[in-house]
Amino acid sequence: MVWLGTIINGVLLGGLYGLFGVGLALVFGVTRIVNIMHGEFIALSAFVALGLSMLLPNAHPLLLIAPVVIVSFVLGYALQAIFVNRAMRLPDPVAPLLLTFGLSVIVRNLMVEAFGVNPRSIRRGDFAQLSVDVFGIPIGVLPLVTLALAVVLFLVLQFLLRRTEIGRIVRATADNAETVRLMGVRPASVYNIVMGLSFALAGVAGLMLALRTTFTPFSGVERLLISFEVVVMGGLGSFWGAMLGGIALGVAQLVGLRLNPNSGFLYGNLVFFAFVMLRPNGLFGSRL
Amino acid sequence: MLLEVTSLDAFYGDLQALHQVSINVNDGESVALVGANGAGKTTFLKCVSGLIRQKRGSIEFAGADILSAPAEAITRFGIALTPEGRMLFSSLNVEENLQMGGLNRRRGHWNLQRVYQLFPLLAERRLQMPNTLSGGEQGLVAIGRALMANPRLLLCDEISLGLAPVAVDRIYASFAAIRSEGTAIVLVEQDVKRASSASDRVYCLLEGQVTMHGASRDLDAEDLTRAYFGT
Repeated sequence: MVWLGTIINGVLLGGLYGLFGVGLALVFGVTRIVNIMHGEFIALSAFVALGLSMLLPNAHPLLLIAPVVIVSFVLGYALQAIFVNRAMRLPDPVAPLLLTFGLSVIVRNLMVEAFGVNPRSIRRGDFAQLSVDVFGIPIGVLPLVTLALAVVLFLVLQFLLRRTEIGRIVRATADNAETVRLMGVRPASVYNIVMGLSFALAGVAGLMLALRTTFTPFSGVERLLISFEVVVMGGLGSFWGAMLGGIALGVAQLVGLRLNPNSGFLYGNLVFFAFVMLRPNGLFGSRL
Repeated sequence: MLLEVTSLDAFYGDLQALHQVSINVNDGESVALVGANGAGKTTFLKCVSGLIRQKRGSIEFAGADILSAPAEAITRFGIALTPEGRMLFSSLNVEENLQMGGLNRRRGHWNLQRVYQLFPLLAERRLQMPNTLSGGEQGLVAIGRALMANPRLLLCDEISLGLAPVAVDRIYASFAAIRSEGTAIVLVEQDVKRASSASDRVYCLLEGQVTMHGASRDLDAEDLTRAYFGT
């Protein structure tokens, strides 16, 4: 029974992991750039969420979602417009990768300068500790909400991409950036929007992280690894695959911690390793 | 004069692909541009549609200077290109590909309904993905997508390449309807017979230069062979 509870909570944790990964998958799918800053996006968003929570001390933590999304979108859009688009115009394809790597180092150290290295978290009453009893198994409300939020965001993203004109434009740009210019689309503008969206998704993930646990400016590094593993396990370009990959990692992580509380992220990495050996293309290796 | 290209030089890095090319197209005309592989035909179309930046000379469209206009802006002038290899968007179905063509919402005769009327095959396959279509059907989508922009000038880059004759017939049969709306066409082809039978005038390119120019019906086979191969 205790194992069932562990597995269920692992699934819920997987929702957070899926949320970590989907932003990375989106950027890679459209721009073909591996955004090494992605982990720092998550950590930075946690700090942004912390700041917002201090500005609005009486707001329920979930109400912070909207302002975090907006601030994150603007930051991501600006980063792409000011830096990454320039790097993409250079002849060397490694340039954008090096840029995102360099920016991740800079952002991480800026966060240390601004916020210090002490662990922080958003403490808002009992919300983070609430749990419901389902058939005798205690299930955290926050993890449940996180998974629900992840699913909702996935559905919204799916809807945006498949049923709106802007989604068509994004998919077409991902397919063929030169031809899409013939239809009046500036690929750089599309990349701005996609990076903004990616950052917004990482923003929600950062907020959920900040509510759930403590974080420091270095929290991004481990989350980048998780994001990568989630994206690769799901299959490059598949969002629901990333969700399932996240769930697999979440379950592996919590089961592993129950077997050995000192194992850190070992079991998650082992499951990822096994996945890559058995199914290197991921669950659903396909396009957006 | 709808399109007036004068003394156009175009470059890929240090390689000069076009030398002093001068080509004109009048309103509603159909002009063929023929030549062997590598003659510069696709380069010419890419220059007119703004995809090649390294160029000098003069390109005027309806009186406006478009030499330095980026590709994104040129569609608004009323120029549409069916690229070499068709270049359909593989993640979008037929209808979505056509809708991408109409993104700029230029006013004119062509819309989704009328494109489906012109190519009933596409209406049947509107929700299919491009990779499930035959080469000929993909060609129809590519032309339909260009028409959706309601162009004054339609540039077609080797639309018969790799297609069965019956599929090419179907494509060429649509040109009558396209021209009746007043759209001018530039047809780039390696198949000289096809291209000249569907056009009023023919230009021939060889190694980036115009080697021959005349009315289609006055085409002399010997002169053309010389101009095409340089013998």
